[in-house]
Amino acid sequence: MSQAVVAVNAGVLLPALAPAIGAAVVLVVDVAAQRLRRTHYMIALVSLVVGAVGTFAGLGMVAGGVRQTLCLPGGGQCMYAADAVASGLQLAALLAAGVTLLLSWPDDKKQSSGSTAVIVSLVLTATAGATAVAGARDLGSWLVALELATLPTVALVALRGARSAISGAIALLTTALVSFGLLALAAALWFTATGSGFITPAAALAVIDDPSRRPILVLAVALVVAGIGFKLSLVPFHAWTPEAYDGAPLPIAAFLAGVSKIAALGALLIVIRAIAPLGAPALTTIAIVAAASMTLGNIMALRQNSVVRLLAWSTVAQAGWVVMPLAAASSAAVFASGAYLLAYVLATLLAFAVVAALVQTRGAARARDLSGYHGLVHDHPVLAAALGLALLSLAGLPPGVLGLVAKVTALRPVVASELWLMAVIAAVNAVLGVAVYLRWLRVVMATAEPETDMTAPVAAPALSAHPATLVAVGLAAVALVVTSVNPQLILGLLGS
Amino acid sequence: MLLLAALAIPALTGTALILTGRDSVRSSEANANLVSLVASVATAALVVATVITRPKVDYQWLPSLGVRWQFSVDGISAPLLILTAALGIAVVVHARSYPPHGGSPTTFYGCLQLVEFGALATFLSRDAVVFFLSFEVVLIPMWVLISRFGDSHDLPARADASGRFVLYTVLGSTLMLVGILALVHSAGTANLDALAAARGAGLDRSTQMVIAALLLVGLGIKIPLWPFHTWLPPAHTIAPTAGSVLLAAILLKMGTYGIVRLVIAPLPIGFGALAPVFAAAGVIGILWGGLACLVETDLKRLIAYSSVAHMGFVVLGLSSGTTAGLQAALFANIAHGVVSALLFFLVGGLKERWGSADLATARAALREVSPRLGLALVVGFAASLGLPGLVGFWGEFLAMYSAWSPAADRPEGFMRVLAVLAVTGTAVAAGYSLRVLRLIWSGDRTSPAHVDAHGGEWSVLAVLVASVLVLGVAPGIVLNTTSKDVSVITSEVSR
Repeated sequence: MSQAVVAVNAGVLLPALAPAIGAAVVLVVDVAAQRLRRTHYMIALVSLVVGAVGTFAGLGMVAGGVRQTLCLPGGGQCMYAADAVASGLQLAALLAAGVTLLLSWPDDKKQSSGSTAVIVSLVLTATAGATAVAGARDLGSWLVALELATLPTVALVALRGARSAISGAIALLTTALVSFGLLALAAALWFTATGSGFITPAAALAVIDDPSRRPILVLAVALVVAGIGFKLSLVPFHAWTPEAYDGAPLPIAAFLAGVSKIAALGALLIVIRAIAPLGAPALTTIAIVAAASMTLGNIMALRQNSVVRLLAWSTVAQAGWVVMPLAAASSAAVFASGAYLLAYVLATLLAFAVVAALVQTRGAARARDLSGYHGLVHDHPVLAAALGLALLSLAGLPPGVLGLVAKVTALRPVVASELWLMAVIAAVNAVLGVAVYLRWLRVVMATAEPETDMTAPVAAPALSAHPATLVAVGLAAVALVVTSVNPQLILGLLGS
Repeated sequence: MLLLAALAIPALTGTALILTGRDSVRSSEANANLVSLVASVATAALVVATVITRPKVDYQWLPSLGVRWQFSVDGISAPLLILTAALGIAVVVHARSYPPHGGSPTTFYGCLQLVEFGALATFLSRDAVVFFLSFEVVLIPMWVLISRFGDSHDLPARADASGRFVLYTVLGSTLMLVGILALVHSAGTANLDALAAARGAGLDRSTQMVIAALLLVGLGIKIPLWPFHTWLPPAHTIAPTAGSVLLAAILLKMGTYGIVRLVIAPLPIGFGALAPVFAAAGVIGILWGGLACLVETDLKRLIAYSSVAHMGFVVLGLSSGTTAGLQAALFANIAHGVVSALLFFLVGGLKERWGSADLATARAALREVSPRLGLALVVGFAASLGLPGLVGFWGEFLAMYSAWSPAADRPEGFMRVLAVLAVTGTAVAAGYSLRVLRLIWSGDRTSPAHVDAHGGEWSVLAVLVASVLVLGVAPGIVLNTTSKDVSVITSEVSR
């Protein structure tokens, strides 16, 4: 076997391989036995856990530590390399996918729609794309993995079949196509500029000596920012987000807000790391996009009365915070960006999980509307506490210490690079963000007024939430509490 | 261990109270009060022990960010810690006379405990980032206190007041965070003692000025410094008595304390350059607050405006750059803590009796119907106008004196103008204090009659009245505690 074109180390690839194999197994099992719905979910969870275990070896590696495979013979470059930040993102993607599956766990009482295997395998496929892209180091696998993480979500949004779902899916599909076009062009320009099919610092350094090729590389990076901007919901590429979130089933909206964002940031960080030695050619673009995303996202979120749309606009605002550190050409920027994303994903998943639990207990109409949360603290104190913790973490206020530490982490490289304007814009947006989330929290904590008790239908059926949903709420809440007490648990994943 | 226990008790008690009780059984009110009282007394005992033994705590917390749990006590924080712990007991005792309404009592007492925890952690922390995190801890409990337990006569006003409080403060603290990160990055350490010892070495004038400006604006919102004070009057008007007391007596002090720790000590050159502007804003606050008090008709709002004026004196003292000025500022901090606590307890009780705090309505004269409340009111406002022999005198007198003879690098003529204007401010303070006394204390109306202070309310008022007198006669208790650490900072400043 020494004649193999590339050396493959399956153990290193496990985070990406496990969900991909899981997807295939689910489809095969579905052909064999169509009635088994829960089995599909069990297979999927097992494959996600196996993938998560596969990331452990890469977590918390010191700076410079990397696990690589698919290397060209003769000590050549590797097509797959995962450092601590990549491993941390992979772990988060796998766990977030697990929460998504828990939220969409099949209900025995309802008739099967026949699409269980499709949903599960699509979720696993997209997750495999998300974990693969975090380690992809050559243009081909980078591009393919990123699209693998995106295209299944279009189908997942559309599967519900409702009119709003179709329009959301179309918005998402159009975005995905435009984004793919931009990224393919960016890849071509990258190859033109560097003459290398690898996205590595070594390839980018080749451009330094040749001023005529430098503008091509800058253009390539700008196109990458635009293409990824669609996937991360950065302004001005954000327009699909509220449509798709609102139209999609709730678990799929959680998937879009979690796994898809991790995939997009993973892809962006690869390029950012590669161009780090070149200084700051496209970084001003990132600062502008980040400032616009935070501001517009927060202002629009303040005006929403649908909680899913509020969370969608909050994603736009938080995406601005996620890429903000990258505007600083500093070694801490990649770490800060990854850390902020993980804190955001955890808090957002908890918020989605609570909304999902309320959809099951109080009906979709009430759980998706902000006014339906009036006095939640009296009706469902535990869910209200979990939601409050998630919202405060997103707002960055204690007791959501994780969110606050994430904001400190994200601001550090910006301040260190003396981007004062960016820092002040971020400070103003911290205030707007607090206004957004406290607006929701105020409704949750409101004491039930006598007159609303009269109007509210008292005979609301006392449904209980699905146990799997409650497990998802519990897991996310415990994770958020533990990481708020000791945020180092999250920061340490991404290396020191 | 003492120190960590002093932080852990209010944190855990507060969290436990909030998470547990929701039942509206009558007894849960008394139970919550009792638990809270025991916790506050235990915390106070531990704080006193901590202040005496002065332990140091240092644990690794976030190695990725270089953030450590570093806590210790020095002369500058000791009086503030004692004040916080004492008022932590006082608000609980006072609430026995005036049970909270608007939500579950366990939430109310839990929030009081968490505010106390945040304030103690702020005054104890020696790591700049932990200082910031502690600073933020008080926000949500205070927001809950105002938005749920505040004056429910006007719900939109209550929502506006609580929202304004939290948004202004978040803006201030995020700007402060930017300043802290810049300071930590350029100085290479987050340890407040190391920052103070470095005296801004290695930072050029413009860097110091940028960082100092960010920190002064950020902390100035909390103080509150004119023109950032507009959140304070509505917050005080709406907040329940305990909330008003904690807000005025403790939370505002976190702003001036932060300026000593984060600006004056580590950034002497930058602060020196900005001090005239800072002092001018403080003096405008003195006059602005005083003039507002002359015409204000809501008693709680009036005391809020007088807080703006009193904090202006603290700012003036801080800006002078001299040992006397810094001593004056720290003393005036404590003095305002005691006096504002006394007045807010008093006015909170009066508002319960009267049904509103409107000065335009004719009331029974306090001197006639409730001599105890009348005595406390006279002492409180006499201290507020700076009568010699009472606690309010020393801080403000020394602040004006230090502004008249500032440090060598301050513009002397300008500072003297400010000192003269501040003196005018004390005349205005005399005017509004006597106006209030004339309106509600003197006279012979005896109806509608109300009960005099007794029980918990009277004991709290009596202790505070005694503190006003004792600290007024013997200011050395505080001044001697702070003097050693203050002279360390100012010797650095004047170099």
